[in-house]
Amino acid sequence: MSAWRVVCAKELRETLRDRRTLLMMVVVPVLLYPVLLIVMEQLFLFGIRNLEAEAAPVAVVGDAPADLLAILEADSAVELVEIETDPERAVRDDVVSAVAILASEPGTDGTREVTLLFDAASDRSNRGGAELRSALREWRDSILAARLDTRALPRSFAEPIAVADSSIALPEEVGGYALGRFLPLLLVVITLLGAFYPAIDLAAGEKERGTLETLLTAPVPARDIVTGKFVTVALIGIIAAALNLTSMILTFQTGALQLTSTIGLVVSLPVTSVLVIFLTLVPLAVLFGAIFLGIAVGSSSFKEAQSALTPVYMGVLVPAMLPAFPGIDFGPLLALLPVAGVSFLFRDLMTGQASFGLGCLVLGSTTIYAGLALVFAARAFGSERVLFGGGDESGEVSRAGLLARIFGHREGRKVPLPGESMLLVAMVAVLFFWAGIQIQIRLGEPGVIVSQLLVLLLPAVLFVRLGGFDPVRTLSLRRPDATSVVGGVVLMLGAIPLVWVLGWLQTFVLPVPWELLEGMQDLITADSAARLGWLLLMLAVTPAICEEAVFRGVLLGGTRGLTPWRMVVLNGVVFGTFHLSTETVIRFLPSATLGMVIAWAVWRTGSLFVGILMHFLNNGSIVVVASSTTLQDLFSDPGAPPPFWLLPIAAVLFGAGIHILLRREVPEEIRPLTLAHET
Amino acid sequence: MIRFSGLTKRYGPLTAVRDLTLSVGEGEVYALLGPNGAGKTTALRCLATLLAPSSGSASVDGIDVREDPVAVRRRLAFLAASMGLYERLSARELIAYFGRLHGIPEAVLGPRVEEMIELFGIGGFADRMCSRLSTGQRQRVSLARALVHDPPALILDEPTLGLDMLSGQTIYDFIATERERGKAILFSTHQMYEVDLLATRVGVLRGGSLVEEGSPADLVARTGEVNLARAFYHLITEPQEVAR
Repeated sequence: MSAWRVVCAKELRETLRDRRTLLMMVVVPVLLYPVLLIVMEQLFLFGIRNLEAEAAPVAVVGDAPADLLAILEADSAVELVEIETDPERAVRDDVVSAVAILASEPGTDGTREVTLLFDAASDRSNRGGAELRSALREWRDSILAARLDTRALPRSFAEPIAVADSSIALPEEVGGYALGRFLPLLLVVITLLGAFYPAIDLAAGEKERGTLETLLTAPVPARDIVTGKFVTVALIGIIAAALNLTSMILTFQTGALQLTSTIGLVVSLPVTSVLVIFLTLVPLAVLFGAIFLGIAVGSSSFKEAQSALTPVYMGVLVPAMLPAFPGIDFGPLLALLPVAGVSFLFRDLMTGQASFGLGCLVLGSTTIYAGLALVFAARAFGSERVLFGGGDESGEVSRAGLLARIFGHREGRKVPLPGESMLLVAMVAVLFFWAGIQIQIRLGEPGVIVSQLLVLLLPAVLFVRLGGFDPVRTLSLRRPDATSVVGGVVLMLGAIPLVWVLGWLQTFVLPVPWELLEGMQDLITADSAARLGWLLLMLAVTPAICEEAVFRGVLLGGTRGLTPWRMVVLNGVVFGTFHLSTETVIRFLPSATLGMVIAWAVWRTGSLFVGILMHFLNNGSIVVVASSTTLQDLFSDPGAPPPFWLLPIAAVLFGAGIHILLRREVPEEIRPLTLAHET
Repeated sequence: MIRFSGLTKRYGPLTAVRDLTLSVGEGEVYALLGPNGAGKTTALRCLATLLAPSSGSASVDGIDVREDPVAVRRRLAFLAASMGLYERLSARELIAYFGRLHGIPEAVLGPRVEEMIELFGIGGFADRMCSRLSTGQRQRVSLARALVHDPPALILDEPTLGLDMLSGQTIYDFIATERERGKAILFSTHQMYEVDLLATRVGVLRGGSLVEEGSPADLVARTGEVNLARAFYHLITEPQEVAR
C-alpha cells in the first residue's frame, strides 16, 4: 500500500472513532436535520392554528353604522368589543387586537376615512388587523354595490379591469426558487463544517498531541503525509455534504413537511441536478479541506486553529449567501468567484435554470482553486517554520500572543510580521468605517483631511512607534534618487490611462452606480483656483500621504518576507478591498491595480516618497480633469471608452517606467528577507 | 554511524546550534547534556530531518540528512520528549501503522508487531486505546513504535522525562540491550544518574556550542569536580564568551 493510503486509512479510522466528527458528519444531517425541520414546522403550524383558533378581539371607534356592525358580528374570526380607553393604549395593552377609527361622516367627495390601528410587531395584532381589514373591505363593497344599484349600473362598472395572475412557472420551479434562496448556503456551510473539525484534528490536533513530530520522522515524503490527510478531510467533507443533500431531498420530496403542501410548494429536483450538485460539492470539499489543513497546521493547538479558521469560515459565508439576495444575476464573473459560483450554481440547478457553460466555469474554477489550496497546504506541511515555529532558540512553537509579540517579544525584529501589519490594516479599515465616515459627515470637507490624519496616518505612526520597529525600514522612508522619481512618475502616467481602460471594461459586467458617480463628480469639480488648491490638498495630497503610510508603508514593510510578486499582489488586493464601499464594488479593480503598481515601484525604489508622488499624480489628475472644461470633454464620461489614441502612449510610458525602475538595484535592506532555515 | 560536522542551525537572527561536530559509533551511547535552550532538541531534530541545517551537515550511516532525508529516517528511530501517541488507536494498531509507514510488508508486519509487543511487555494492554494508557505504558508503546523497523541508530530526546523509577528502568534496560546489539545511540537528558549508568561518551552544549566532550570520567577529571553532576554544573556556569 502506498504511504499516502496508509496515512489516509489510519486517519479515516481515527476520525470515524471521533464522536465530534461523527456527530457533525452523520447525526446532524441524517437525524437531527430533518427532525429539527419537522419540529420547527410543527411549531410554526401550531402557532398559526393557535392564533386562528381564537376570535380576534377588535373594536370600532366612531359612529359605526349598523351594516358594518352586522358584518363584524357575523364574522366568527373576530369578536367585537367595546373600549373606553384611548384606542392606541387598548391595542398596546392587548385589550383588542385592532381598532377601526371611523371619521364621523363621509367627506365632500363621499369617501369616509377609516384608520386601522394595529401593532405590526405583534402576531396577534397583525392577525386581528387582517381580519378587521377584511371586514372593512366587505363593508366597502356593500356600500359600493348599493351605490351602483341606486344608479342602475352593473357591478362591472366599478371594476373596468380584472387582473388575473398567472405564473408560467411550474410548481416544481416555484419550489426550486424558494429552496434556492437558502439551501445553497446550507449546503456550502455543511460541506465547510464537514471539513472543519477533521482538518483541525488532523493538523493542529496532531501537533497538540505531539504526534506530528513522530510522524514526520517516518520515512515518508511530506507530500504523502499531506495527501493522506487531505484525502481524509476531503472525503469526510464530501460524505457530510452528500448525506446532507440526500437528507434534504428526502425531507422535502417525500412530503415529510406539511408546510410545503399547505402553501402549495412542490419540491422535485431532477436526478441530473442532484448529480451535478454532488459533483460540484467534490471540488468544494477539496477546496475547504486544503485551505483548512494549510491554515490549521500553522496552529499549535485545537483552540488556536479554531480561532485561525473562524475568519475563513465567516469569509465563506458572504459569497455563499449571495444567491439569497434579490436582483443578482449569475454571470461569468460570479461563476469565477470562489464559493459564490458554487452557491449560484446550486440555486440555478434547484430552479431548473442552470446553464451548461456557467456550470463548467464553476466546476473548472473551483477545481483550480482547490488545486491551488492543495499546493498551499502541501507547502505548509513542508515548512519547518509552520510545523515547529521558528522564532525561538529551542525550536518550540511560539505560544506568545500577537500583541505580546508586537510589544514584548519582537526577538530583535526591525520590521513587523505579515500578520501584524495585516492586523493594523484591518484595525484601520474598521476604524475608518466607523469613525472616519462619522468624522466626514460631521465636519464636511475638512473632515476628509481630519479622518485621514486621525484614522490612517496616526495609527500607522503609533504602530511603528509602540511596536519599536525601525521607522525607516518599516515605512521605507528613504530619500529617492532622480531615477526613482522619474521612473515612478513615468510609470504612473502610463498606468492611469491603462487602469481607466480596466475600469471601463468592467462596466460591461458590473452595474455602474451613476448616482454615486455624479455625486462624486460634483465633489471633485473646482470652479476657481482656490477651490482647486483645496481639492488637491483634500483629495490628492492628504490621501497620498496617509494611505501610503498604511499600505506601502506598514503593509509593504511587514510583508517583505513574501516573494516580490506575492507582496505586490497582496498589497494591491488589500488596497482595493479598502476602497470597496457599501454602494459598489466598481472601485476594487482599478484601486487594486494601482495599488500593485505603486507597491512594485516602492519596493523597487525603497522609497515611500515615490509612492506618495504616484498616488498624488493619480488622485490629482482626477481632480484636474474634472475641473477643466477642455479636459472634461475628453475624459470625464465614466461610461465612455477612453480615447484610443491615448492607449499606445500610455503603454509606452508604462513600459518605459518599468524599464527605468528595473535598471536600478533593489536596495539591499528592502529585498525580501531570506530566513536561514528556509533551505 | 551518527555524525554532525560543523552543523549550525539559525532561526532568523538567533543561532540555536553553532558549529556542532560530534560522532557516535556502533555500540556507543552518547549523552548530549545542556541546560534548557542549549540547543539539544534542535540538534536532534536536525539529525532526525525535522529541521534543515543552516550550514554544516549531519549524517546517519554516511547519508546526509539534506541529500536523502527519507533514507536517513529509514536508518534511525526517533523518540521525542513529547511521547505523543494517537489517542484513538490501540497500541497494536499504532505499532502496525508505523511499521507500514516504514514499508514493512504485510506478511512480515504481523509477526513483527507481536514481537515488539512481547519485547516491551505490552501484551496486557495491546488492544487498549492509547488515550487510556498510563505514562509508563505510553513510553513502552512509544519505544515499540520507534523500534518497529529495527534501525541501526537511535535518537532519544529526554526518554525518561516524567517517568517513575520503574518505567525509567525499562528504558535503561532497553538502551543497554540495544547498545549490546551494536546500535549507535544518541540521547539528551538532564539526569546525571542515567548518564553515569549508560553513556560511553558525553557532550555538553552551552549556548548552542559544544563546550566539552569525553567519557563521564574524563569530564569529572578535567573539571576537577567530585562527580558528573558537579562537572556539568561547572561547565555550564563557568564564565566564558558565548557569542550570540
